[in-house]
Amino acid sequence: MQVPGRKVAVVGMGGAFPTCSDLKDFSNKLFSDQSLIREWDKATAYGKNIRSSVSGFITEAEMGLEPIYSTLVENYPETYIDKLNRIPDANLATADIGSIWAMLGAQEAIAMAGWSDAETQSEGTGVVVGSGGGGHEILRNAWHSFFHHKKKTRLVGSHAVDRAMVYRDAANVSCLIKNKGVCESIGSACATGLGNIGYAYRLISFGLQDRAIAGGVEGTSLETFIGFDAMQVLSRGFSPEESSRPFDLQRNGFVCSFGGGIVALEEYELAKARGADIIAVIDNYFNNSDGDGDMFAPSFSGQQRLWKGLMAGSGQKPDVVKVHGTSTPAGDAIELLSVVDALGHDGYHISAPKSQFGHMLGAAGAVEFITALLMLKHQKVLPCLNSAHLNPEQESFQKSGHWFGPFEPLAAFRDLIPQNSFSKEINHIACLNYGFGGTNSAISISREL
Amino acid sequence: MERQEIIDGLVEILKTVRTIDQDKLVAVTEETDFIADLNTPSTEMINIAAKAEQKFDVEFEDDDIDGLGSTVKDIVDLILRTKERA
Repeated sequence: MQVPGRKVAVVGMGGAFPTCSDLKDFSNKLFSDQSLIREWDKATAYGKNIRSSVSGFITEAEMGLEPIYSTLVENYPETYIDKLNRIPDANLATADIGSIWAMLGAQEAIAMAGWSDAETQSEGTGVVVGSGGGGHEILRNAWHSFFHHKKKTRLVGSHAVDRAMVYRDAANVSCLIKNKGVCESIGSACATGLGNIGYAYRLISFGLQDRAIAGGVEGTSLETFIGFDAMQVLSRGFSPEESSRPFDLQRNGFVCSFGGGIVALEEYELAKARGADIIAVIDNYFNNSDGDGDMFAPSFSGQQRLWKGLMAGSGQKPDVVKVHGTSTPAGDAIELLSVVDALGHDGYHISAPKSQFGHMLGAAGAVEFITALLMLKHQKVLPCLNSAHLNPEQESFQKSGHWFGPFEPLAAFRDLIPQNSFSKEINHIACLNYGFGGTNSAISISREL
Repeated sequence: MERQEIIDGLVEILKTVRTIDQDKLVAVTEETDFIADLNTPSTEMINIAAKAEQKFDVEFEDDDIDGLGSTVKDIVDLILRTKERA
C-alpha cells in the first residue's frame, strides 16, 4: 500500500521518436504542429499484399545504428554497431532494436536526472520497461531458418532468446545501468508504456524502491505491422500526415507506429534534497479492466470506473487530458464521451498526440507521457491534428436505449479539441491509455510549483 | 588443409565477433584460449563454431561440439578430424 506522504517525482526523460534527432527536435516538431508520419517503403515493397502503408517508423540509420547481418542465416541481424559509441558491444549483442532504444532512452533519462553511478547502481533503483512485442525480424528469421530451411538451431547463434524474451527491454537496460533493485516488464498491449510507468510509480510510493527507470518501447517491425494490417484496423486512404485523425468524422483506423519513451522517477524528498530539476509530480495512477468479456471493444463503464479511481487520488480536475485517441471509429467516440462524463463540458482541453505520430503500441503510453511532461514544461497544449469535422449527429450507440452517457454528438465538444497547439496555464494533466483485453490505465501529473 | 591456414581463417571469424577485444587478435596461436586469453563471452562460442562450419565447409557432430575445448588447437583439431571423416 501507499506510504502516506511519500510522493514520486519525474526527473528525467529520453527515447526514440520518428524523424527526430533527439528529445528537443521531437518537442520542436510537436509544438509546431508537425506530423511525424511517413509513407513506409518497407510496407509499400509488398504491394497489394499489405493494406496500409503509412507509419511513424524509425530506421536504424536514424538512430545511429548499423545492423550486421549473419553470414549463416539470411536476413538475420546478428548484432548492431552503435556509430555514436553510446552502448558497449557486449550490450548490443544481447539486444533487439527496441532494447537498444530502451538503453539509449535510459542513458538520456539518467543523464537528465543527474543520478550518480552509486545511486543508479543501488538496491533502491529499479527498472520497469516493456513492449507490446508483436514479433520482429530476429524471431522471424531464426524460426524461418529452422522450420522452413531445415537448418541446425545453432546457425542463429546464442542470442535469439535474450533478444526476443518478453522482458528483453528491461533486462538489457538493467545490464547496462547495473541497478540492483527490481527488473521487470509489465505487458498490457497498448497500455504497456503507461502500465510500466504506473507500476514503477507504485514501487516508489509503496516504499519498495527509491528510484526507477520506466517506460515502453516498440521497435520498428514489419512483423508487428502486418498483424494489425490483417485486422483491417489501420488507417487507409489519406496522405501520411492526414492519416491519423482522432475524433474526425472521416477517421478509419490507426497509424501503426514505433518509438520508445523512458522516464526516470524518484522519491520526491530524495529528489528535492539533491536539488534535482523536478519535471512533474505524479499524483495518482489507476488501472482496471472492462469486465465485459470483450477483447477489443472499448467500455464506457470501464472508463467511468477508471476516472473515478483516478480522481479519488487527488480530486484535481486536469487542465489537459492527454487521450488515447487512436483514430479508430469505435474507440474515439467512447473515450471522448467518457472524458466529458467525468469532467464536464468545459474548463479543460483534449490533446491527442497520436494525431502527430501515430500509435506506438507498447511504447504509446510512455511516449505520450513524455508529451504530457513537455506540455507541462512549455505550458502549451498539443493539438489533435486532422480533427477537422466532428460528427454533428449522435453515434449509433447513443441511440441504442442502453446508453447511459452523454447524449450530445461529438461536434458538441468542438471547443475541447484544438487543431493547433496553443499556450495556456497548465498545472495538472491526466493521461489515458487502453489496450486489447479491456485494460484501462490512467495517470495524473502536476507541475512542481 | 594446413593448420596455419585454419588459424588464419579462425582469426577472420573472430574479427566479426564484436565482443572480442580486436587488439588481442594479432598474436593468436594454437595455444590461445578463447575464454581465458581473448575474454570471449561463453555465449559466443557456439557462434564461432557455427561460422567455422560454414567457412571450412564441415558439419560438426553435436557430441563434438559438446566436448569442444576452449583453445584454438581444440577447434583446429576438430575441423581437421571432421574433414578426414567426410
